[in-house]
Amino acid sequence: MSFPKVRVPYLLLLPGFAFLFTFFILPIINLAQTSTQTPIAGGDTGQYEQTLAFGNYIQAFVDNKEQFARSFVYATLATIFALVIAYPLAYAIAFKSGKFKNILLVLVVAPFFTSFLLRTIAWKQILGEEGFVVPGLRSLHIISQQTTLTSTSVAVVAGMTYNFLPFMTLPLYASLERIDPRTIEAAGDLYANGITAFRMVTVPLSLPGVVAGTLLTFIPAAGDYVNAAILGSPNTKMIGNVIESRYFKIVDYPTAAALSFTLMAAILILVTLYIRKAGTEELV
Amino acid sequence: MAKERSLSPEARSILGTQISRRAVLAGAGGLGAAGLLAACGGGSSSAGGDAKTVRWGNWPLYLDYDDKTKTYPTLEKFMTQTGLTAKYFEDYNDNDEFFGKVQAQLKLGEDIGYDVVTPTDWMAARWLRLGYTQKFDAANVPNKVNILDSLASPSYDPNRESSLTWQGIMAGFGWNVQKNPKGIHTLDELFAPQNKGKIVVLTEMRDTIGVILLAQGVDITKVTENEFMNAVDFMAKKIADGWIRGVKGNEYAEDLTSGDATAVIGWSGDMFILSSENEGKFDFAIPESGGTISGDNLMIPSTASADGKKNAETLINYYYDPAVAAEVAAYVNYVCPVKGAQAAMEKIAPELVNSEYIFPTEKTASRLHIFRSLTPDEETKWSEAFQKAQGN
Amino acid sequence: MSSDAISARGDLRLTRITKSYGDFKAVDDLTLTIPKGSFFALLGPSGCGKTTTLRMVAGLEEPTVGSIHLGDTDITTTRPYQRPINTVFQNYALFPHLTIFENIAFGLRRRGIKDVKEQVDKVLNLVELPHLAERKPTQLSGGQQQRIALARAIVNRPALLLLDEPLGALDLKLRRQMQIELKWIQREVGLTFVHVTHDQEEAMTMADTIAVMNEGKIEQMGSPADLYDNPETAFVANFLGQSNLIKGKIDGNDGDNLVVDLYGQKVSMPKKRSHAVDTSLYAGIRPEKFRISRLGTPVRGNTLTGGHIEDVSYIGVSTQYVVAMPWGQEVMVFEQNDDGVAPFDKGDEVNISWEPTFTFGLRGDEDIEAGTEVNPEELEEQ
Repeated sequence: MSFPKVRVPYLLLLPGFAFLFTFFILPIINLAQTSTQTPIAGGDTGQYEQTLAFGNYIQAFVDNKEQFARSFVYATLATIFALVIAYPLAYAIAFKSGKFKNILLVLVVAPFFTSFLLRTIAWKQILGEEGFVVPGLRSLHIISQQTTLTSTSVAVVAGMTYNFLPFMTLPLYASLERIDPRTIEAAGDLYANGITAFRMVTVPLSLPGVVAGTLLTFIPAAGDYVNAAILGSPNTKMIGNVIESRYFKIVDYPTAAALSFTLMAAILILVTLYIRKAGTEELV
Repeated sequence: MAKERSLSPEARSILGTQISRRAVLAGAGGLGAAGLLAACGGGSSSAGGDAKTVRWGNWPLYLDYDDKTKTYPTLEKFMTQTGLTAKYFEDYNDNDEFFGKVQAQLKLGEDIGYDVVTPTDWMAARWLRLGYTQKFDAANVPNKVNILDSLASPSYDPNRESSLTWQGIMAGFGWNVQKNPKGIHTLDELFAPQNKGKIVVLTEMRDTIGVILLAQGVDITKVTENEFMNAVDFMAKKIADGWIRGVKGNEYAEDLTSGDATAVIGWSGDMFILSSENEGKFDFAIPESGGTISGDNLMIPSTASADGKKNAETLINYYYDPAVAAEVAAYVNYVCPVKGAQAAMEKIAPELVNSEYIFPTEKTASRLHIFRSLTPDEETKWSEAFQKAQGN
Repeated sequence: MSSDAISARGDLRLTRITKSYGDFKAVDDLTLTIPKGSFFALLGPSGCGKTTTLRMVAGLEEPTVGSIHLGDTDITTTRPYQRPINTVFQNYALFPHLTIFENIAFGLRRRGIKDVKEQVDKVLNLVELPHLAERKPTQLSGGQQQRIALARAIVNRPALLLLDEPLGALDLKLRRQMQIELKWIQREVGLTFVHVTHDQEEAMTMADTIAVMNEGKIEQMGSPADLYDNPETAFVANFLGQSNLIKGKIDGNDGDNLVVDLYGQKVSMPKKRSHAVDTSLYAGIRPEKFRISRLGTPVRGNTLTGGHIEDVSYIGVSTQYVVAMPWGQEVMVFEQNDDGVAPFDKGDEVNISWEPTFTFGLRGDEDIEAGTEVNPEELEEQ
């Protein structure tokens, strides 16, 4: 038996669609329902009934403005730092690494071989009192004897930068590596010195990688809570920590759901504006 | 408290510590995802119960285990003695997560796959409130009388008709001996200048706020909302003023070893291990004003069959035999809830007979208190306040 | 020095240039002068060193030894952006993120010229693509991109325009058309063009002067006709068109001519067309210079007898014959189909003859296969 040819592409879509429907669409609908529920009068902890309490959203946002703002500030900082670190790294791998290219790429990906949690906990040790960073900075009088690094926003942003660095490096590498070196030579040939050629040709041509890398870093960073939980303090809590606490500790599912939705919407809006601004739709 | 335990074993090994199997689960308690992931692996527990089987869902690494034979010695003995088959599932990773998993079946009265479960006090209270447990047949659990007096009448089950403590967990002060040579016995000593910015308290509301309340002279078995909120404000202020660096689960142990924390409100079992592994660098005490004690409780779900219930009672009774309880306690290092286990310990591990961690003295025990059970409204409202105070 | 290099003008002189990569010499002791205003071609197979030479002129590579002068200015180590030299790259290397207009204006803007519109429009008109100014390079066909690459270079009025296999990516028909256009544009703008190619036909169509390169050295340099009619080496003889090279011996003199013994048959050739160093030589005759005749038919010039037709291919304007000679060599003969004579058939006994003045003489110790194995369609790697 054979299918008419035209149907085959749709059949191929089926498994993906079924997967997305079951594990994305249905949970999203469920989340939307949950976000407008209210506690059952006289019910036990965690018992909610379906109402249309859209006020949950306002309450959730107003109560957690600070953590929302902090999430986006931290995510933005981590994205900027990751870009500043990853760009030269990706550039060196793409253009200057020669036969070491594959080894360097493996090293970039290597952190993925251990768990996210474990890497973050290792950072806690690195930045801890008995790690080498704090005593080093103290002996150089860069930080005072009383200053610690863990449980600070510095540690949280550093952890996020580190954890999402591969997400920044790989797309940057891919787009830099794709640049025809002759276009850079051509810029030199057309009276552009090294810096101008980099600014006028290399940077614009790597823009798709910059956009992809910053998105791949910013989106998970904005929703991250592991770094803030492990490396932060009560004063560095992000919106992810609030959602986690609402869900697991307070057992306040509607607020947790409303916060999740608000976070998703905020990220979606920011990302859309960013892509518009970057104007790289045709390049991506 | 048990809720906070589930750090991957490799995470502990990176810290270079070797610890008991129960405490290996420390750490990622603040990270619900870890619990969720672990939950996915626990599907095997639905294996059907029959007349000769008892199915027990317990916290991971919370029962004596022989690495060589890959068996649980006391459980093996139980099976030999009774001829029953015990199916042991280490898939109780998180109170809320476990409850979420089985709640629907409990409501519908369908078998949840366990004849014995091990919820922590406040969750045990919720199960009882909702009628999701069965009362023990007293005749089948004669060893029930062995429960320590201090644990015998919690507010949620005053006569221990449906629950018996599996292990008890004390919360009090832990400290770095070098930084606090005189030790910490009062809240003022905890908030001493040398500890500023290096104090960590527990994410477990009833322990942290309980210890503070006791220091404020409040009876935590009768605490009011005003008193509670006062204590939460006290903690929030200590966080805002930079005294408290973190509100954490078992990770406070790492902070102590790394030097990031010098004083904590912590748990006896952890401090016992930390102290023994660091040549006495750390110490623990029940505050003069009193500490909290809580427990994980053996309970029989309402969905267990008549046979399952009977077998579960046999199992619970077995573990309330002092000799068996001592064997477990020698392994897990938490407060043994069984009278007579101390005497039995003489034969098993004489060096532990006088361990305050496993067998608190009468004097110590008199200073341990159980946080009163909360109504659902209180539970939501109080934990919300507690979470907000820690930035969530 | 480098600051005034940008305004240097004049002949390009390469003096004893060597470029080594480890033990490998890509360019080996090369000396070459390219006169101002000429259309110069560097012709050779893959790996002959022509692209390396071009890149050294552009400043993208530095010579290991030797110097490069433009007029009186030494530009050997001058950075590419400080040379008054522009390049049309093999794959055009247009900037994909810029419009055609901005691609062309790139060089002008880098030199600080504010008002670029007039000049850009002028070259766009020159390459006949003014309507594409606002497109992006990827929206253009290969031929259009090629013209834009040219426009982007010539808009700067460089002292020297380098073309690196500029037509390599185009199909045959377009390539022919562009060859003519390039030549026309060169005359129009009056710039010095240095054209690197492996395509002998392309080089011959466009260049005033061709330098044939092989293994890092120049084999021979001259006008297309000189190179074709009187190649000095077997490599040139074979790389530019086809040649029949017949082993012989110089047997004496006859005025301005040499008497040559080819396998016992005496032929003559002008002395000045012989590059032999001793009495052994190869006599070279282009296939189209041969005439075939039936036995007994009177013929003029040199004649070799005893051949028979081995193979016949009719290709329209001409017929190609393979003639087996008595000494076992097969020679190629192209006959114009213009005399109404019935074509020869396979197996026919024939003589072959030619005008003595068409003969060229190569050294008898040459490798007569040199330059034949090269696949001219193969694109240069570097």
